[in-house]
Amino acid sequence: MIMNKVTHKLFWLCVAIFAACAPDAFAQVRESNLYWAPECVTVSGKKVDALLNFIFYLTGAVFLLTQAVYIYYLVKYRKRPGSKAYYSHGNNKLEIIWTAVPTAIFIGLVIYSNRLWSEIHSEPPADSVKVDIVGYQFGWDMRYPGADGKLGKVDTALYSVDNKFALVPDDPAGADDFSSTELVIPVGKPVHIYLHSRDVIHSFYVPQFRLYQAAVPGRTIAWVWFETTKTGNFQLACSQICGSGHYNMKAPIRVVTQEEFDKWQAGKIAAKAAEAQSVAVPANPPLVAQRNVREEQP
Amino acid sequence: MSTSVTTFVPESHADSHHEEHHHKQNFFFTYIWSTDHKMIGLQYLWTSFVFLLIGGLLAMGIRYQLAYPGVEVPLIGKLLPSTIATDGIILPGGYNMFFTMHATVMVFLVVMPLLIGGFGNYLIPLKIGAGDMAFPTLNAMSYWLYVISGIVIVASFFVDGGAAQSGWTAYAPLSSTAAYSNNTQIGQSLWCVGLFINGLSSIAGATNYITTIINMRAPGMTMFRLPLSVWALFLTAWLLLLAVPVLSAAAAMLFTDLNFGTTFFAAQGGQPLLWQHLFWFFGHPEVYIMILPAMGLVSEILPVFARKPIFGYKAMVWAMVAIGFLGFIVWGHHMFVSGMNLTLAAAFSVSTMVIAVPSAIKTFNWMGTVWRGSIEFTTPMLFALAFVSMFVIGGLSGIFMASTPVDLFIHNSYFIVAHIHYVLFGGSLFGAFAAIYFWYPKMFGRMMNETLGKIHFYATFIFFNLTFFPMHNLGLGGMMRRIADPTVYDHLRALQPINVFVSWAAFGMGLATFIFLWNFIWSLRHGKPAGKNPWHSTTLEWTVPSPPGHGNFDKTPIVYNGPYEYSVPGMDKDFLPQDEKAPEGARLEVH
Repeated sequence: MIMNKVTHKLFWLCVAIFAACAPDAFAQVRESNLYWAPECVTVSGKKVDALLNFIFYLTGAVFLLTQAVYIYYLVKYRKRPGSKAYYSHGNNKLEIIWTAVPTAIFIGLVIYSNRLWSEIHSEPPADSVKVDIVGYQFGWDMRYPGADGKLGKVDTALYSVDNKFALVPDDPAGADDFSSTELVIPVGKPVHIYLHSRDVIHSFYVPQFRLYQAAVPGRTIAWVWFETTKTGNFQLACSQICGSGHYNMKAPIRVVTQEEFDKWQAGKIAAKAAEAQSVAVPANPPLVAQRNVREEQP
Repeated sequence: MSTSVTTFVPESHADSHHEEHHHKQNFFFTYIWSTDHKMIGLQYLWTSFVFLLIGGLLAMGIRYQLAYPGVEVPLIGKLLPSTIATDGIILPGGYNMFFTMHATVMVFLVVMPLLIGGFGNYLIPLKIGAGDMAFPTLNAMSYWLYVISGIVIVASFFVDGGAAQSGWTAYAPLSSTAAYSNNTQIGQSLWCVGLFINGLSSIAGATNYITTIINMRAPGMTMFRLPLSVWALFLTAWLLLLAVPVLSAAAAMLFTDLNFGTTFFAAQGGQPLLWQHLFWFFGHPEVYIMILPAMGLVSEILPVFARKPIFGYKAMVWAMVAIGFLGFIVWGHHMFVSGMNLTLAAAFSVSTMVIAVPSAIKTFNWMGTVWRGSIEFTTPMLFALAFVSMFVIGGLSGIFMASTPVDLFIHNSYFIVAHIHYVLFGGSLFGAFAAIYFWYPKMFGRMMNETLGKIHFYATFIFFNLTFFPMHNLGLGGMMRRIADPTVYDHLRALQPINVFVSWAAFGMGLATFIFLWNFIWSLRHGKPAGKNPWHSTTLEWTVPSPPGHGNFDKTPIVYNGPYEYSVPGMDKDFLPQDEKAPEGARLEVH
């Protein structure tokens, strides 16, 4: 039939286009590891990668197997002169098998996943570096504890121009906290971050850390911690649409050695102390006194 | 099952059929305010084509911006309104409008109306042996509400500040607070109003479908003799009825937050996550609302061109029932990393993995259907076959996200964009194309051109995969969705050539759609006359003329068989229509 010839020609044309375009377009982009993913630099991220890997091979095998069988059927059972279809309404035994097997696989997968999920969100170690990260339209502010090693308490109702970290004024721990516009963290040490937002929902997303967590206004997200394995420069990205400047809402991340971190921290603490001495202590923001301070950590 | 079915195919329909020949209804009642389910189905179809062009154009805008951020849009750049572009260069806010409205238009004004409004209305009465829908006037109203909602939503481009910019998910408080949303308060409000009206249309339609299917089946048409497309639309209608009111309520709350100073979703005095719970409580069933009808339509087409009964009819039905039920308890998987309780996330992960099982069952049954068939590769069959494969890819990529820790990495990345398009385009729209090629002869009495159809299929199939498959790679490469300019990030600059590649593939896919539209319009006059039953199919719509007259059936058909009796041993012809008694010697299998 003419139609079949057209079909065949089109089919092979398509195969040719695929073969010609696809590898060429991709080859120039990246010396690929399996996922094209940027290098992973956190301990938990490597476990995520292992799980991702596992699912990739699992689904890849299922895909190849089903498609191979499917295409084999399509070719083998194509209409030919004299061919007649086999009359069958199905097979209950097969139905049971292909219900039970995927169920078992999915249950196994969900157990694997959720164990890792709770491991990643386990209690952060006591010696973690603490950072309060605040997203706003369209940027990030970080706050580190001062010499006392404690972050001042936050009441999310208090965000204002004068109080950009919403610190509770009568908590002395907050007085020496210093701020930064870049996230500087020591390599190989657990880092415990508190996520806040001043206006709309933002999200903390660092692909190299394999980590995403939304920052919700009015809430403190206190369960995110991670440990880096490598020094380097990265970018913190907002990955939750947050307005017209969303695409450019980023902040630099520097993962540095412990010595460098200590030096940087000491410099910041000294600068904060100098600043506190030179400026007379300002009066509390007016609204604060009546506010119902919620028990939020930090 | 018993055959005690109440029929409401009354003689009055035979009368009205009669009447039509004597004094034709005027233009207004035939084409505009028609209460004939077939005309309403076609109205839905044509209207959804218009919105498909709008939604597709917006997609092209998105792809242009991602490939060439900061470069003037050729030809139409200067014509774009100032809220979208200056000097022909798309603004970040304009880009945000593009993806917000692309998704809103495609979901609410294209896929739902096309599959549910178009095929639901056209096919349900014909397939169950009824003269019309239970509530024809409600049906017409449902269509016109859809049109109004479409006008309101699209008109929001032209109001002060332009259309909504907060994504089709409209996360509060970005969407609910005028100060945060780049002067799009009016646009966002119209978005709420549009969805509310659209919801009314869906609810009215769903009520109609459920009533019709329960009450108006022809004698002998038991529930387990219903074609799977009718089952799918029946379950979809239930999902609509239970899920859409939640969206309507949420949209109303968002509207009052925006305009009357309420604080349902505000950080202080309200709860931003409440919006997400409400939205996704609708939003996840919505995913199945869009895929179930396509599954049903494809389940109709595969047996016809494999000349085999559908494999595991009852398993298919129960799988859809399971999907419908489980669809309501998986919404939290959109919120693993939203700030929701972590243990709750783990629980939603379980239900999400479980819902993959019925999808797997359906896939295996489709494969079982082509097994040992006699397969004819017509255009509708090609789309139906491709649907199965694309659905497999979309389903498998969903497993990555269902795994909570992996979601930490790929949440809101292009991996998700790839996934949703494999399900929604490779799934729902491929299913819709298959259905259009398949039922066109019934709707218009002529066949669509097969050669053009095949060119359209192969072009769409190739360009679709070239467009959406690399998006998995982009996502794993760390590309966030909804960013107007990926090149501002160091790790994404290296991926920019893929973005350019994807965009050109998308442009190709856009152009391929015109082959389809040309074929659709050309065949109205020039297609081969189809006759009653060009595909030698068994279901009731193929027993009446093409196109069927007003009232559908001259006399109420009586149903003797299931919907998929193909290649029955001991018969001369290889199909047994539902309203024909099996001839002597036919060895029907009881299943």
